[in-house]
Amino acid sequence: MPIQLQDFTKRFDNTTVIERMNLEVHDGEMLALLGPSGCGKSTTLLAISGIHRVNGGQILFGEEDVSEQPSQKRNVGVVFQNYALYPHMTAYQNIAFPLEVRGMGREQIDKEVRAIAALVHIEQYLERRPGQLSGGQQQRVALARALVRKPGVLLLDEPLANLDAKLRLEMRSEIRRIQQETGITAILVTHDQVEAMSMCDRIAIMNEGQIIQIDTPTEMYRNPKTQFVAGFLGNPPIAFVNGRASGEAIRLDADEVTLPLPTGARRPKDGEPIVVGIRPEIFGVNGGSPIGGRVSFVETQGRENLYDVALPSGAVLRSIQPVRHDISVGDQVTWGVNPDALMVFSQDGTRL
Amino acid sequence: MIVSNTTSAERGIRSSALTRSTEPATDTVRAARKGRARTSPLGLVMLAPALALLVAFFFAPVVLTTIFSFTNMTSATGISGGAYVITPNLLRDLEWQGMAPEAAQSLSGETISVDEAALERAAAAGVDPDFLEEIEDELLGDEFDDARSFERELKTLPSRPRRVRDLKLAAEPFSQSILNTRFATRDEAATAIASIAPDLSAEDRNTVLSAAYTGWVWTTDNFERLATTPETARLITNTALYVGFTLSLFNVGLGLFLAIAIFYMPKTSGTIFSVLWLLPRITPVVLYTVMWKWFTWDDGFLPVVAENLGLPAFNYMKGSVPTAWATIVSLNGFIGASFGMILFSGALRAIPQQQLWASEVDGASRWQQVRRIILPQLRWPILFVTCYQSLSLLSSYEQIWLTTNGGPGNTTNVWALEAFRVALSNYTGNLQYGYGAAMALVLVVAGLALSIIFLRLFRFNELVEKPKIEF
Repeated sequence: MPIQLQDFTKRFDNTTVIERMNLEVHDGEMLALLGPSGCGKSTTLLAISGIHRVNGGQILFGEEDVSEQPSQKRNVGVVFQNYALYPHMTAYQNIAFPLEVRGMGREQIDKEVRAIAALVHIEQYLERRPGQLSGGQQQRVALARALVRKPGVLLLDEPLANLDAKLRLEMRSEIRRIQQETGITAILVTHDQVEAMSMCDRIAIMNEGQIIQIDTPTEMYRNPKTQFVAGFLGNPPIAFVNGRASGEAIRLDADEVTLPLPTGARRPKDGEPIVVGIRPEIFGVNGGSPIGGRVSFVETQGRENLYDVALPSGAVLRSIQPVRHDISVGDQVTWGVNPDALMVFSQDGTRL
Repeated sequence: MIVSNTTSAERGIRSSALTRSTEPATDTVRAARKGRARTSPLGLVMLAPALALLVAFFFAPVVLTTIFSFTNMTSATGISGGAYVITPNLLRDLEWQGMAPEAAQSLSGETISVDEAALERAAAAGVDPDFLEEIEDELLGDEFDDARSFERELKTLPSRPRRVRDLKLAAEPFSQSILNTRFATRDEAATAIASIAPDLSAEDRNTVLSAAYTGWVWTTDNFERLATTPETARLITNTALYVGFTLSLFNVGLGLFLAIAIFYMPKTSGTIFSVLWLLPRITPVVLYTVMWKWFTWDDGFLPVVAENLGLPAFNYMKGSVPTAWATIVSLNGFIGASFGMILFSGALRAIPQQQLWASEVDGASRWQQVRRIILPQLRWPILFVTCYQSLSLLSSYEQIWLTTNGGPGNTTNVWALEAFRVALSNYTGNLQYGYGAAMALVLVVAGLALSIIFLRLFRFNELVEKPKIEF
């Protein structure tokens, strides 16, 4: 079911957390709400689920305006960060609860619970209480409980935050698999860019109650609209260097380095201060415009090494390269930057 | 001591340092062990005040109650020893209980003997010394069977008093009876009985001696009396009704209702509301009961309101059995409700907010949320309040004492109040410590039994298990 937020506004007492936000989620799509803590992404999710009342604007499920409906009537499934399983009920009873409260028959409930348990692979744990389940199993029970009554929308609030690294990797693909098998429209709230990029069809990046950009993960990585988005996505993160426009070229501040303007970028005025974003993978041995500096740090990542290169001005660029043994800390290197992949931002953070 | 990134030389130094340090390490362990042994008496010393308090205020009362309950102590017997006194009443009682009238008769008889002791008694009683001298000269060592023959002898003496009344008074000190005489020991009393009634059978003598003892004795009569008095059944029924109604309707029922109501209220009004419900608890109990009197008495608030509404108006506190019951149950209930309210409120706040959100999203109505999510998780506090309050209600009587005082009639009397009255506040003045202690002991045993049943019923062990859920 498609979801639409129109001029959605949310205030707590007198603090406006979200002001006139617009968002559209397509049918069957999984969308990530990505942003730093306090940006309003969880608030948005809770408003969609009906737990928070909206203070302005509308929330549409399909054609229907649900803004004034209580959460009981919205038919949404929510997975909370701590799973919020009922500790006094077994996994089976937890999953059956949404069906029981709407008065479904015992046999029908049993059928539905077993079907959904098979989907999330927890058939053998149904008689256990949450206290006897591992984090990953609790997560699956929470998913099953959210999905069992076939909601129009699945909302996931930081579902992986409480899991250890290995389980997180496993549940990432599991949640995606279940979402795709059921074809349900899903919204995932997360502050982890890797989660957002690996699980979702599209990402909406939020900051301070506003959506900065909505795009597919690849597109957003390649074409961030602002410096904030460019800085938020990418691991290891992008390096920013201050500079000034000078005709068709960019002069980096205080360094004797000139880079060509990337093709397709809007031309800044001469002498205008700009910010150049250089991702680690476009700075390396493969030619382009040369930049010289001293290797200040080497981070071993196993398959690759990450080199920090300090420019004479003190600015630091990062380069990620297959492991090589000829470079160590303190070495003077001159590596090239692929000028077409450079990102140039104006002083206020918008992409040129 | 795990050190990474050290050169082999460093490692060598460290490992040798390690080997060297093994001996001191075991020394340290040994020293630590010795140290622990040294500190254990200190621990006992630290515990001593708590142990002393425990013994003084928990065990001693129970032990004393147990001891008292197996005696017939009353304010008549006193709590120290007694003496042997045979009274005319006692003899009459014994006769009723089947002693031969002749035996009783023989005990109540008197002997008149003229001896040094009798002369001293007479002198002390103010009999004329000349007369006494003559008696000593003429009659010393004589014994008389009755007063008449003694008086006849006295009339022959020259210094005898002129008036018959004075003569009788002078004769009195020479007459001796064991009636109303205090004997300090059983032997003394036995000797006296033997001298006055030599024909009394040993069996009868023992019966008389036991009955004549004024101090307390060991006995199980208290429990027999409790088991056989019809009043016991009524007290048990009343106590069960009182505890049951107060506990279920108010301490748990109202407490739960208030806690849940406050939980769903906005914060400020919830706080004010809960403070209001604390007032009965913080009001001094005498003041509180006086207010209830004003509230329910003939010209009190409730009857006046009822009169204006055309409802029956009378002294609700003492005017009828149902209203008296309603009064004591609600009066106690309002005090106890705040306890449950506070405990349940705390437990409610401990339920993660997201669980409640989850149940709402799952489609649960507010009632279903309370019934299916909240109440099951309040099992432990409900157990605690039930257990704690039923025990405190079992032993509480002061509110009833101060209001209905068990009335009308004896209809609202409860076990603890009766025990208190019997042992400590008896209208007739004879306080029956032993019987009261027996009643109190029954209460203690009942309380212990109830606690064990509660703990079993609510599977206490499971409840206090370490929670496995991480939040």
